Amino acid sequence: MMKISGIRYLVEQGIENIWKNRMMAFASFCALLVSLVLVGISVLAYQNMDSMIGGAESQNEVILYLDEDTSTEEINRIGNEIYQMQNVAEVNFYSRDEAYQDWKEQMTDYDILFESLGDDNPLIDSFRIRVKDIRQMSKTVSQLENLDHVYNVRAPYDFVAIVTQLRITLTWVMSALILAMIFVSIVIISNTARTSVYSRREEIQIMKYVGATNVFIRLPFFIEGMITGFFAGCGALVITWVVYDAVAGILQNQVALLSIIGVGSMIRFEAIYLPVTFAYLLGGALIGAVGSAVSIRKYINV
Amino acid sequence: MVELKDVSVTYSSGVDALEHVNLKINDGDFAFVVGASGAGKSTLIKLLLKEIDATSGTVTVNGYQLNHMKKRKVPELRRTIGVVFQDFRLISSMTVYENIAFVLRVIDAPRKYIRKRVPYVISLVGLQAKANSYPTELSGGEKQRVAIARALVNDPSLIIADEPTGNIDPELSYEIVELLRSINRQGTTILMVTHEHELVRRFGGRIINITEGQIVFDEIMEGSDDEFLEDLGNLNDED
Repeated sequence: MMKISGIRYLVEQGIENIWKNRMMAFASFCALLVSLVLVGISVLAYQNMDSMIGGAESQNEVILYLDEDTSTEEINRIGNEIYQMQNVAEVNFYSRDEAYQDWKEQMTDYDILFESLGDDNPLIDSFRIRVKDIRQMSKTVSQLENLDHVYNVRAPYDFVAIVTQLRITLTWVMSALILAMIFVSIVIISNTARTSVYSRREEIQIMKYVGATNVFIRLPFFIEGMITGFFAGCGALVITWVVYDAVAGILQNQVALLSIIGVGSMIRFEAIYLPVTFAYLLGGALIGAVGSAVSIRKYINV
Repeated sequence: MVELKDVSVTYSSGVDALEHVNLKINDGDFAFVVGASGAGKSTLIKLLLKEIDATSGTVTVNGYQLNHMKKRKVPELRRTIGVVFQDFRLISSMTVYENIAFVLRVIDAPRKYIRKRVPYVISLVGLQAKANSYPTELSGGEKQRVAIARALVNDPSLIIADEPTGNIDPELSYEIVELLRSINRQGTTILMVTHEHELVRRFGGRIINITEGQIVFDEIMEGSDDEFLEDLGNLNDED
């Protein structure tokens, strides 16, 4: 078992090594920085696109038409039952009078038609329902159809199909992109770590010849990689923040357009700041440490 | 103590580097190992440091049976051996003091002991004035003195010197061998591999000649004008 003073020496060595091998440390820092930014921005892009599709999803509307002779009490009871359903996010009653009024306002050129109808309103009461998860829409529609006094239920299945397909495609494309970025990152990091260790292979060999244990040899490399990775994580966080804010700024000017096409806006960076920071710093430190420790394996077996 | 019993080493390429070697070096011995390039000297060193394993036979170093030694025990073995290389193998980013102190840090020696032991060993090799110099600021002879101090600092039972005079001037070579002999007089076993017959002829002592993987000569010879040492020179020249 190593003494505390021994561990302290190795930690000090790890920190000293960064300065002594500053060129290679800088190369490792850059490789990690680029890799973290590539992967981080890909993940954030995916999350935002997913969130935007979520915004489009929330525009869904199922219309439940009630039988003509449904009483007010029954309408209230049905409204409550719908509201209690698990997948229902919002329920709004749309009376036949409101519908008639809206219809008239939309069709101002057809006054003759409305005059011929007189006081006879041909429309029926309805509920406008927004579901939480559109993938569960058909199940929810079945539940709605089974309620009393339901004349008809109309659901936007085409819209659901398009959005679902869009989400599946996005998940596949972005997963492939993120995996590719992770692969590229692993190649960059392992090559840099190997080059860094190669330049110090003699030092490792000497350590082995004088009876250093593998832990003694690995720990300074581990500490060195961890510190380099941590700072790369800090750098990646700053770059991501700047890029994110710039993109969010551009999109903010297009809010009107986004709402017209029915998609939500970008996630605010403040809302994801903590997990992003945590992921970058922890990810950077961990990748740096493990990358360095693994790369010396080849030279440690002397 | 080093003991090889009927040891053979065959590399994966099929080359027989050592064949049925029997060798015993007692504690406190000083032995020269001579032989031409490719004779098996390096293989012998690798075997003693447990860098490679014997294909057959048994190898014992400082009480450790190397054939069945677990990997995690190798550092323990190596801490009983000091190694001096032809190319010094000093860590260029460390000063003379740090290069030597490093060995004691590896074995987790107390700081107080390191502060006392390292200057003492530096004084033994006569490099007090260079303690804070970096390897690049030293001559070949000085570098080798640092390497010897590094091998010595841990107070090992055995020092293996692999061509320690190969990269330094002839007159400094004598100083290096003298230094090793003085260390030997304190009780440390020294195994010095060399191809410089002049050194062997001058200092004499136990001489082990390896040729084509076999020990063809193992005798104690004294004196610089010994007839047998002259023969040895001729024998090696033919290699």
